[in-house]
Amino acid sequence: MPVSDPAPNPIDPFYVLTRLGYGPRPGDLAQFANQGFPRWFDEQLHAPPVDEPEVAQALSVARLRIKYGAGDPAKNQPWPAVDEMRPLTMLNQPIEALWPMLAERDKHASQERRRPLIEVMAATLIRATHARYQLREVICNFWHDHFNVDAWHSEQVAVALPAYDRNVIRPNALGNFHQMLEAVATSTAMLYYLSNHSSRAGAANENYGRELFELHTLGRDAYLNDKYDRWREVPGATDGHPAGYIDEDVYESARAFTGWTVEDGAAIDGGRKLPNTGKFAYVENWHDGYQKRVLATDFNEFQPPMADGKKVLDLVASHPATARYICRKLARRLVSQTPSPQLVAAAADVWSKNIHAPDQIAKVVRVIALSPEFAQARGEKVRRPLALVAGFARATGLDLMPTEPLINTIADAGQRLYGVPEPTGLHDDLRHFSGTNEMRQRWLLALGLAQNYWGTGVLNPEAMTPALVRNYGEVAAYWLIALTGSSDPNQIVAITAGMNIMPEQPLDPRDPNLGKRLALIAAYAAMSPAFQSC
Amino acid sequence: MTLSRRTILKGVAGGALTVLAPMPGLSLYANAAQADAHKILIIVHLRGGADGLNLVSPASDANFIAARTSELRVAMDGSDPGFALANGPDPHIDFRLHSSAGGLAELYKNGTLGIIHAAGLTDGTRSHFVATDMIDRGVADVPNLSHSREGWMARYLSGDAAARQPIAAVSASSAVGGEFANWPNALAVPDLGGGFAPAGGSQALDVLSRFYTNAADPMGEAGRSALAAMATINAGVRRDPKGAAIPYQPEGGANYDSAGEFGRSLKTLAQLIKMEIGLDVATVDIGGWDTHEYQPGRFKGAVTQLSNGLAAFWNDTARYHDRIVIVTVSEFGRRLRSNRSQGTDHGRAGVMMVMGAGVRGGRFFGRWPGLDNAQLDEGVDLAVATDYRQVFTEVLKHRSTAPTKDVFPGFTPTASLGIFSA
Repeated sequence: MPVSDPAPNPIDPFYVLTRLGYGPRPGDLAQFANQGFPRWFDEQLHAPPVDEPEVAQALSVARLRIKYGAGDPAKNQPWPAVDEMRPLTMLNQPIEALWPMLAERDKHASQERRRPLIEVMAATLIRATHARYQLREVICNFWHDHFNVDAWHSEQVAVALPAYDRNVIRPNALGNFHQMLEAVATSTAMLYYLSNHSSRAGAANENYGRELFELHTLGRDAYLNDKYDRWREVPGATDGHPAGYIDEDVYESARAFTGWTVEDGAAIDGGRKLPNTGKFAYVENWHDGYQKRVLATDFNEFQPPMADGKKVLDLVASHPATARYICRKLARRLVSQTPSPQLVAAAADVWSKNIHAPDQIAKVVRVIALSPEFAQARGEKVRRPLALVAGFARATGLDLMPTEPLINTIADAGQRLYGVPEPTGLHDDLRHFSGTNEMRQRWLLALGLAQNYWGTGVLNPEAMTPALVRNYGEVAAYWLIALTGSSDPNQIVAITAGMNIMPEQPLDPRDPNLGKRLALIAAYAAMSPAFQSC
Repeated sequence: MTLSRRTILKGVAGGALTVLAPMPGLSLYANAAQADAHKILIIVHLRGGADGLNLVSPASDANFIAARTSELRVAMDGSDPGFALANGPDPHIDFRLHSSAGGLAELYKNGTLGIIHAAGLTDGTRSHFVATDMIDRGVADVPNLSHSREGWMARYLSGDAAARQPIAAVSASSAVGGEFANWPNALAVPDLGGGFAPAGGSQALDVLSRFYTNAADPMGEAGRSALAAMATINAGVRRDPKGAAIPYQPEGGANYDSAGEFGRSLKTLAQLIKMEIGLDVATVDIGGWDTHEYQPGRFKGAVTQLSNGLAAFWNDTARYHDRIVIVTVSEFGRRLRSNRSQGTDHGRAGVMMVMGAGVRGGRFFGRWPGLDNAQLDEGVDLAVATDYRQVFTEVLKHRSTAPTKDVFPGFTPTASLGIFSA
């Protein structure tokens, strides 16, 4: 692949590492400067499929507390009380290994069924903090928002979440969209979340069919519902290239996906039952096999197993509206809330030309990230709470140990990981993270990480502070630069005056409060306006 | 005198920086003459598209019975009958409230609550997100949706001096409601708990004040707004002699516990109202209505929270009954015919409710369009007989002044439904 010229001026490394990753660790900026943006970027695109050694190591040493009381024998609850620091044991389990927890619900406390979700959330924090291939984590996060499922309100989705993250989102995040879409459509997590698993011929469940069009592929701008049942009036429809979709397409798609379900022990008929493994299943008896019309394309009656649904996925994955909608969404995530039509068109062009390429999404991300528009978008995006936490840990060298109280505070700040009830997923715009309470929780995150409120690890600011830093003003400047890329005298004074210290006051190694003060300065630097956006 | 939050904070920050003072001008609200100038409007959003036909069923309607399994209809008899409602919109049909809506039934019977059935968005969208955006922006067609960037409440409040008070517009949820979009003074306050100050004590507050007083970018402004709002709200929190926040005690035996997150949000609003710091309009969300499958149990849960929450709030705020108006709205209703997942898919008209001061409760308002195939929207859904904006127009007119034309673009009010007594 030729290396294109990214921008006329050298790009600010701090900005790139904060926008396309979760912020620099000490030393990252120098390495980036050595490589230059395009080389750094292409290396990021070529992450090996497995976890980096740093990530694997951090995942293997992680221990997450699990605590619950003994079950009530009178209610046939046989479990003993548990309070232990448990390793992450579920991330690599096949779904059939975790699914039995649902059928055996009388045998385990509910905390055990929630555990797969907790482990995936912890792994997300660990990867964001430790991953060398930061871009992959940012893009995985994008697709988790795009193909949102809510594991906080459904035990089935919680139990299916490790497989969803591991097999559906992560391997496809920079791969081929059609392949990812098919993986999502047949995933246990999505089949439960958008209730297709219970859809039956006769009166199909429209939930998945509708969000497939509106949220996963063509997008709401392509919803031409003023043509409700007059498909021939949709521009291009009579030539087989309808510009958008109507409610009839939703209804017909819902029929196409009947029978796409999960092996959850449901009765098929009087004599047969599905196994109870949690794996995908196609049940011919539940499928509506008669002829259909989706996006002005006729489907013949009684096609082979799954052919109807796959044909719908073909049609929506290759639709030009899908290219525009997702490229715009990617540009909004990576560049600004208002990406130019030219940038979106350029990205959509790459998308469409690479519709069968195994690295389709990587190519699209590349054209967006190396655009001049990206280079000029510093400060346009809010750091979402996950990015705030990972960015703080990376800049300060905090060896972050995820805990449930931390995860809950991130949720309070507006980012409930894998727990957004609406299928739109987590919003991307500033309004959702800048309310009174969100700001309060953002500041709390910085204070709590620096002072170990939640057992996430002890910050060691004395070891981090370079030897040539000798007074409090220099400490403030050091942390502001590490966290935000720059510092100015007003910010330094805000911190020192607030703490009632003169900037010139030298650090006294005998001061018993020195470590606490240095940690507070790191927290305050992370509470500054400059750390809130990227 | 109206002060923007920024000038207030600058004024404070220019002097003593250690602690942010509450905003000046608040004593205005302590005096009764100011207090009853406006009704406090609370908009309750039933998020996800609430099945109006299952909340208020035309229980005896033959078409209704034919289209749905019994579990998705309110029963007239048997072990779990719904509450019969007098003064329905069609004397030949027995309209029933869901059996878990005992609180709402009582509010209806005692004349506090009125029902507008077959209300909603005149645009035919069956998309949650398009419908929500349209209702947030006070429009009902795509061209006006693409032209209006601000919420309808922002346009309405721009002509309302009281709304410029800093705590006037509140969403009791994690984010500001869409109808407040582009209204700079709107706040999100999900929970007051033990006060509403930033963590880290006075030192952190001092650092934050210095950081944010002159910060220019949007997050800087957000931080400044948050600090000012926290100072004002926190000043209204009752404290013991040691300075610790006294836990809020609801009045009238009100119990919000059985209403979940919705209850917590309403409790927060009750607290804010009683602080008398100028709450003017508020929004609150209740989720769980997107019942594509397993509707009987899920819907019952959502109705229970809705009914118990509103009943608790009404009991708790008895001292303010002459000042509060509550409106419920959902982005759409659901399909008349149920699907085979024991659920219902996205439909058209739903049900709105209005309760509180001045409401001619205990009756229905607006036309009932009927459920014959020819009467349905596209042959599948309850048709919209009352534009949701007609309801809001009457509410706004009653509490202050009729909305100007720009508040609801493309909407011309019809003859009054008579929701309020003159």
